[in-house]
Amino acid sequence: MSIEHKTGRPIDELIRDGEDPELLYAELRSAFEQERGKASTPQQGQALRDRWLGRRSGLLSATNDHWLKAAPRELKPVVGKLQNLLRREIEAAVEAAARAAVEEQAQAEPDLDATLPGPERACGAIHPVRLALEEVLDIFRPLGYSVAEGPEIETFFYNFEALNFPPDHPAVDEMDTLFLNDGALLRTHTSPCQIRIMESKRPPLRYVVHGKVYRNDTPDATHSPMFHQLEMFAVDESITFGDLKGTLEHFVRCFFGPQTQARFRPSFFPFTEPSAEVDITCPFCSRSGCRICKQTGFIEVLGCGMIDPNVLRNAGLDPQRYQGFAAGFGLDRFAMLKYNIDDILLMYQGDARFLRQFR
Amino acid sequence: MLILLSWLTDFVEIRESPRELADALTMAGMAVDAVESEAGETVFEFDITSNRPDAMNHFGMAREVAAIYRRPLRAPSTACAESGPPAASKASVEIQDPDGCVRYVGRVFTDVEVRPSPDWMRRRLELCGIRSINNLADLTNYVLLEIGQPTHAFDLDRLAGAAIVVRRARNGEKLVTLDGEDRDLTGGHLAICDAERPVALAGVMGGQATEITAETRNVLLEAAWFRPSVIRNAARGFKLFTEASHRFERGADWNAAPQAADRIAALLAETGPGQVLPGQVDCFPQPPQLSPIRLERADIRRHLGIQVDDAEVEGILSALGFEPSADSSGWSVPAVSHRLDVERGIDLIEEVARIHGFANIPATLPAVGAAPEPTPLASEDARMRAAVRGLGYDETVGFAFISSDEAKRFGSGDPVSLRNPLSQLWDVMRNSAVPTMVRALEWNLRRNQPFVRLAEFGRVYRRSEASYEEPSVLTLGASGAARPASWAEPAREVGFYDVKADVSALLAAFLPNAPSIVTEGVPSYYRKKHAAGLASNGEVLAWFGELDPELARERKIRQPVWVAEIFLGKVYGRGLRRPTHGKLAKVPAVSRDFSLLVPDAIDFASITEAVGEMPDLDSVEPVEVFRGKNVPEGSYSLLLRAWWQRLDESLTDQEVNEFADELRSRLQSRLGIALRT
Ligand SMILES: [Zn+2]
Repeated sequence: MSIEHKTGRPIDELIRDGEDPELLYAELRSAFEQERGKASTPQQGQALRDRWLGRRSGLLSATNDHWLKAAPRELKPVVGKLQNLLRREIEAAVEAAARAAVEEQAQAEPDLDATLPGPERACGAIHPVRLALEEVLDIFRPLGYSVAEGPEIETFFYNFEALNFPPDHPAVDEMDTLFLNDGALLRTHTSPCQIRIMESKRPPLRYVVHGKVYRNDTPDATHSPMFHQLEMFAVDESITFGDLKGTLEHFVRCFFGPQTQARFRPSFFPFTEPSAEVDITCPFCSRSGCRICKQTGFIEVLGCGMIDPNVLRNAGLDPQRYQGFAAGFGLDRFAMLKYNIDDILLMYQGDARFLRQFR
Repeated sequence: MLILLSWLTDFVEIRESPRELADALTMAGMAVDAVESEAGETVFEFDITSNRPDAMNHFGMAREVAAIYRRPLRAPSTACAESGPPAASKASVEIQDPDGCVRYVGRVFTDVEVRPSPDWMRRRLELCGIRSINNLADLTNYVLLEIGQPTHAFDLDRLAGAAIVVRRARNGEKLVTLDGEDRDLTGGHLAICDAERPVALAGVMGGQATEITAETRNVLLEAAWFRPSVIRNAARGFKLFTEASHRFERGADWNAAPQAADRIAALLAETGPGQVLPGQVDCFPQPPQLSPIRLERADIRRHLGIQVDDAEVEGILSALGFEPSADSSGWSVPAVSHRLDVERGIDLIEEVARIHGFANIPATLPAVGAAPEPTPLASEDARMRAAVRGLGYDETVGFAFISSDEAKRFGSGDPVSLRNPLSQLWDVMRNSAVPTMVRALEWNLRRNQPFVRLAEFGRVYRRSEASYEEPSVLTLGASGAARPASWAEPAREVGFYDVKADVSALLAAFLPNAPSIVTEGVPSYYRKKHAAGLASNGEVLAWFGELDPELARERKIRQPVWVAEIFLGKVYGRGLRRPTHGKLAKVPAVSRDFSLLVPDAIDFASITEAVGEMPDLDSVEPVEVFRGKNVPEGSYSLLLRAWWQRLDESLTDQEVNEFADELRSRLQSRLGIALRT
């Protein structure tokens, strides 16, 4: 009787026929060894696995059912031990055979050229000005600032008068401002939105205003008739010049790097008093002098100041009660400094080669 | 503005190196752009802000130095020996327009001789970039650089009646100015006249008829204060911008006028030859009354965040030429004529802050005042931008200007036009963002870019009843390959369905149901039959398609380019779709394919419509669309696949076969479409 046949009979019958459990398992093991020696392809490996370890009809399942489960109580421990031992051996051997078969097949395959490029699936670029904007907003939002954009077509009142520009300020001249036929104009800065917000909301106010602004400038590497400005302002009952310094120092450290120091230089803007221009220590040469800082070690980056009481009054706020600060800068220039862009017009040509650098 | 170190030391002691001085002045608001060393002299180049005309001269700058280092300031010497009859007996001055001319000081010099200036004076002028002319002209320039007061020298003997009358010009009066130009004067111009005619355009330029010549012996010197707006209008009207007009426009000092006249007299007496007649002819009919300024001690802290010592406040203000008088809560400070920009307490606080030093104000952070407001449409915009990026479009930004010709071709209605455009190509604000995108595509095609995908988030501009509207629009541009070229995939040109798929993907986050396709009313800048719109509830949300080949040709674009415009206001207005979860089927869906021969007149939407609702029908999709070989003209072959699915149980073959029969019969009865055999 073949061993295969024996696995189909209950063990007590086999014992009655003179078989010994240990010998039965030894016979089974040698049958397996023989078959395993013949299995060399993955397919044969799979067949071996099915024949021996198959859940329903495998030989080990059969011995489990007919030999182990049917064993008389006194033989159970012995048969159980033999069954487990054999199962572990066959499982390990089958797995090793399968691994070897796969390995053998891989050896025969040609090498994969993993260095060939896959078909390109690039995400689109973020425009550098947008990139700079997102970074600035990420700095100001945690400080409690809201974000607004405002209209680009403005009135003379909001763009100049309300901002305390004397009527004959040179910036009002046609050479700087682009006017529409009905006297409206393209905002020359984002500050008109400051007035609109102060008019419509009560302090405390913390706002970042950003967007396109326009000047009647002939385009060249540093001038563009359209560019992007960002300004932030805060109005409350106890905002001080010290707060302005602290806020901007934090900002330039976040944006230009933790080593960056800010220098506040008195200056003049119609809408702030006191006014200051902020120079930062050159992040490119750490103050030793380079082309970008024109060998001075400092780069002028923004203008700021305490909001002039006239501006607060023009927007309907009582300057005896409220005060605040404002600061503004060109986002294009910030992006140019940060990403080493030497020509502002690159921002507006839509050259895919330029843009793809910002993917 | 050039300032000489040696000239500053005439008025204030300087112990610092030029570099240190430049830094100190810069940090006090007098920005030094450059420090040059020239022939043993140090020259500072300043960039002085327009509110500080008082500092645009050596004495004024010395006052800043004196304030920074709290050192004494010495005024220029005006002592001189006078002789002869009183000046007033030799010349008269009358102001008929006291609004335009607030003060006019005359000084008379006799027996002068026109000759070169002494070397030291020529040297200083030349280092400051002023060409030496003769002793009299040089004197006026020297004093302008020294104390900032413009003056003018007339040949007294050529002034009719030896008289100066300051009045509005009469219409039709003429003046030949020093530059040789004939000037037609009107009542808007303030003129310096003699007894008969205008002899100078006040505050701007003198006249040829009374100018100093080699023969001049007697001189009337003018030192006056003119109203800035009057000077500005005259200078702008004649496009004649001079050193004098520059100073007067920004506001001079009416008390510097007599000082300048005396300083010139003193220098003339020193350098000679010439006689200074005793006294000034000072016409100052209505000295302006300046209001005293209130400076509250508490306001200094309120604005700066620090308390500055009283002694420091008073020291700074005194050094700047103010005379503060203290009381219990602060100071009363009379305004001064050399600092007309200082008229409020906050102006004085700025003076204290900048001299005390911005660097000495500690940095603090304000407490967060209130919860920030959510930015309108921020989530919508973030989703759209992420989707655009994900689809591989590179973000670009284009100018908001286009030409009125482009506005006609691409937009509707009257565009918003500019009164002073930069060029004719940019004379209106864009009423469509498509021309901007076409320009960008054209730019890239000229540079042989084989794969271009651009996206611009921007505004278009149009008039509304009351003012203007600036709706946002997303514009896409595509040209070249459908995908970047790769060895792994066959090349294919981008086409209508690629763009449609992208636009649909962008709208998906906003629409609860798939948008409907619109082929009516597609703008004419799209190629006919190669463009469409996507609409939801009857509202067009996007147009897309191939650019009209004629427009492309005009722009030298020789290959198809695709554009899409997505009206963000309308899309964002719908808000982000709120996703709701439906049950997932436990068993796989079952499909059947139908090979159909469809007349061209029947589009795919009609087929899905004819199929309509059916129990357990999941979807109907086109698997293959084919025209040509073995397909009769006027028809196309369509391989249609329908999927059925029941949530909890498998469909039997028999059920699906019945469904398929029903589908076939619907196509047959509703559209007359038969299965291909
Ligand atoms: Zn540097």
